[in-house]
Amino acid sequence: MSDIEKGFEKAVKTAKVDLPGDEHVRLYQQLGIFANWLEPLLAVDTTGIEPIILGHNSVNVLREDFAHKGVMAELQEAAPEFDEGFYLVPPIIE
Amino acid sequence: MEYEVVIGLEVHVELMTESKLFCPCPNHFVPEPNVHTCPVCLGFPGAFPRLNSEAVQQALTASLALNCDIALSSYFDRKNYFYPDMPKGYQISQYYEPIGSNGHLTIEDDHGSIKKIRIGRVHMEEDAGKLVHAAGGNGSKVDYNRAGVPLVEIVTEPDLRSPGESRRYLEQLKSILQYAGVSDCKMEEGSLRCDANISLRPKGSETFGSKTELKNMNSFKAVEKSLEHEIQRQSDVLKSGEEVISQTLRWEEDKQETIVMRSKLEAHDYRCFTDPELSPLVLTAEAVEKARATLPEMAEARAARFKSGYNLPEYDAGVLTASRCLADYFEACLESYNNPKEVSNWIMGELLARLNAAGLEADQSSFLPEHLAELLQMIDENLISGKIGKEVLEKAFESGQSPRTVVEEEGLLQISDQGELEEIVDKVVAANPDSVEKYRVGTTKVIGFLVGQVMKETKGKANPKLVNELLLKKLKQV
Amino acid sequence: MDLRNLSVCQAAEDIHNGEYTAHDLIEKTLENGSLLNESLNIFIHQAGVDALEQAKAIDLRIEKGEKLPLAGIPVAVKDDICYGVLPTTFGSGGFSDFYSPYTATAVERLMEAGAIVVGKTNLDNMSLGSSTTSSPKGATINPWDNSRAAGSAGAVAVITGAAMVALESDSGGALRQGASSCGVAGLRPTGGLVSRHGLNLHSSSFGQIGVTALTGKNIDAVIQVIAGYDQYDASTLISKDESILEVEPVAIENLKIGFPQSLIEGLEPEFKAICQETINLFKEQGFEISDISLKMLPEALRAYYVIAQAEASSNHARFDGIRFGSASEADNLEELYLKSRSNILGREGRQRSIYGTYLLNKGNFDLYYRQALKVWNLVRREFGLALTGCELLLMPVVKNLPPLLSEGKDLISSWEEDIFCAPVSLSGLPALSFPAGMIGELPAGLQLVGPPFSEKTLTTVSDIVVRNKQLFPHGKA
Repeated sequence: MSDIEKGFEKAVKTAKVDLPGDEHVRLYQQLGIFANWLEPLLAVDTTGIEPIILGHNSVNVLREDFAHKGVMAELQEAAPEFDEGFYLVPPIIE
Repeated sequence: MEYEVVIGLEVHVELMTESKLFCPCPNHFVPEPNVHTCPVCLGFPGAFPRLNSEAVQQALTASLALNCDIALSSYFDRKNYFYPDMPKGYQISQYYEPIGSNGHLTIEDDHGSIKKIRIGRVHMEEDAGKLVHAAGGNGSKVDYNRAGVPLVEIVTEPDLRSPGESRRYLEQLKSILQYAGVSDCKMEEGSLRCDANISLRPKGSETFGSKTELKNMNSFKAVEKSLEHEIQRQSDVLKSGEEVISQTLRWEEDKQETIVMRSKLEAHDYRCFTDPELSPLVLTAEAVEKARATLPEMAEARAARFKSGYNLPEYDAGVLTASRCLADYFEACLESYNNPKEVSNWIMGELLARLNAAGLEADQSSFLPEHLAELLQMIDENLISGKIGKEVLEKAFESGQSPRTVVEEEGLLQISDQGELEEIVDKVVAANPDSVEKYRVGTTKVIGFLVGQVMKETKGKANPKLVNELLLKKLKQV
Repeated sequence: MDLRNLSVCQAAEDIHNGEYTAHDLIEKTLENGSLLNESLNIFIHQAGVDALEQAKAIDLRIEKGEKLPLAGIPVAVKDDICYGVLPTTFGSGGFSDFYSPYTATAVERLMEAGAIVVGKTNLDNMSLGSSTTSSPKGATINPWDNSRAAGSAGAVAVITGAAMVALESDSGGALRQGASSCGVAGLRPTGGLVSRHGLNLHSSSFGQIGVTALTGKNIDAVIQVIAGYDQYDASTLISKDESILEVEPVAIENLKIGFPQSLIEGLEPEFKAICQETINLFKEQGFEISDISLKMLPEALRAYYVIAQAEASSNHARFDGIRFGSASEADNLEELYLKSRSNILGREGRQRSIYGTYLLNKGNFDLYYRQALKVWNLVRREFGLALTGCELLLMPVVKNLPPLLSEGKDLISSWEEDIFCAPVSLSGLPALSFPAGMIGELPAGLQLVGPPFSEKTLTTVSDIVVRNKQLFPHGKA
């Protein structure tokens, strides 16, 4: 397996999404095209240039330590599986 | 081949803020699940994190109390991984720039010498929710009350060399963090958690051996025991010529052994990047110095204060300040009963043993500082004797009632009524002519026996001093 | 009553003066919207009784003497912005019946000012696109040419009178390109001006909530209400004195506008002509046009797609079918993730999650992601440099006509459409897409980019150009 292929398979596994039909193949092929398309980005000389860590300029945005009452019934209504106070998930197979 | 043990500890403590790290949900335990939740800590789209200023303050305090260098600008990073207890699919932590680094604390090594344990990093992060496995393999239930609770993670360098040192590190860490006022560090309740990394290497070697990670210890003792167990296991492996496999092991308390949780062969790729939805924390050097100067009183300073301020012996001061809640208990008691040595004696002599036996901290028992004060007051007022007082303490400790209530209900009030006592003294003297005779010929010791008899008659409730006086008087008359 | 002949300020004034009621206005708008929705697929959910009730409540408050700057103004809200009264789908097939437990700050502020949400507009799957063609509900039809996509459903609502203003998201240019495709004005505000609280952000660094309307003046009226510090969005700048919102436009006489001459060389002749016409119009106004250099657009576009996808892969990790969204049938947790996420994210979401994860993986992280962050720095500098020596920049918005519905574009080609918009997103500067002319039967826009908080200058200049030139699609609705 090439590096790109290894990287792609790892990414698919990590991202935890099922790929229907021929999407797996298509995405892999497009990734190659994408990597080529990115070459001009890699070619930019960024010696001595700092990466932008945060895009916005706010600093020290903090919230006072007060607690609200918590829980809104509407929150739980959004859950697909909720019973007796708990969110439910199917068995975890290690 | 002689092996050297190399241990590093990773501790998470829950901070004592009113609200969670990134949302205003309450930060305290409640038994009912999913009642401390909101769109932010449940990861609803468009609900951005909002950093708690008090959590920052406490993390700063913890870092300073652990002698760390403070990062003047620190950021929050996303640790991306999937698990049902992680609502956003990432944990907000501080991967690149922790708020504190390069810290240390000191402990005694196994030979009694002082040793510095280096602390590599102290950083803030949010806690995950709790997963409860449903019965019969029917899946799991998730409770997000704890999701988003503010944690501080403290990671040592691999400087520990024995299970004993590890336990002492934890005790010292707990003391420091309790005194700093940032966490109550109660491992049994989960406000302090510890994972251990341990490896063996030939003595004198510079390179590290293969390490295993131990998880699921729920007390300092369990940490010590699990490390002892693992040292034995790894030695056995190495002795048989095999290699130690790097993996994560789970400590099973009831079986006192470890089971393999997962192979740590490939480290997780968390793809950490700085969270674009939060602002950086920028501190000035002045602000840091101010925080350092106003750190809460630490154990040593408090012990020194107890020594000089209350005229307590060094030993007493040491015992009383071993934990912050005990020191607080002591001083709270002094507010109603101002005799430091007396209070100290009773705490050290009667209370501490009972707390330890019950596995309670000073702030967890229902025998409050006011109760101790009340008890000592009653002894002072001669309402009960010191001996009865000990009984009262025991009963009050068990029942949760106040000493006064116990005395009333058990009818333990001291008998100090002269008339009543004289009657009993007469009775005892009359019943023991041999002893009276012995006294007359100079065996004054026999007084003790006679006093004892009076006490027996009164079921210990007679005022011993008065009894002594009355007996002497009576014996002189006879 | 044709909404399109009314300004926001005029309508609010009319309602205060009793010319008609908010209820009248909303009723008419809802009727209009319903009719148009059949053929143009503007709304995913339209308001009904709820909006009429709200309008009545507004009328009552006006009667009592309250002054509401946006009284009765019908607003269309893109469906990636949370609004608790109607379902929010996020453009996902996995959110059909979801009522958000909270409403976005920008929407709340509009409602407090008297405006009324008349519907949630269609959008690309999980907001990932600038054409609406990937929407699970199908594309929104361009009212100028029914064989083409509209780009933005909010723009369609505004140009057809199904709403007076629209609130939309813009990351790589969806709002601006949609405005261009429909012949309306669309503002992407300065980063930090408008709260994104309640927006299903895929790109945290570049996603913004912006405003679409027929005129710059209408956009301005809305910005006044929604802009400003929000405790729920840490990126909003704390303006201690609210003067940011009342920045007076730069004196327009002798305005200097920078234009990257070299850029238009690569444009199709029709688009070149639009640029030239607009430049001439600006010159007639007494503006000075200077040549500026924007060399890094291709690299900026690539940096956008690296950073935005990396962020999307992380932002979309919360969609696991456990707390919200539909959960697919699964025997175990892994299956729940795989199937539910696949369903909720859709094709575009799946692609971005995988590529984003790929870009952040060890090995690629420094190579692509960190490099993109550095190039971002250079792009910002380039825009900053371009703005020294001129007050505004003029740039193209699109280089092609709105896509044909039958046309399927490959991934890279569709990303290339963002060449003029995505780099501006990197700059963090405000950008206003305005109708600049016609290419055949279709409108085409250009964008004005200004220094931070120059929204009022942008809208003022845009209105000068557009004044009297506003066209509506006739007989196409």
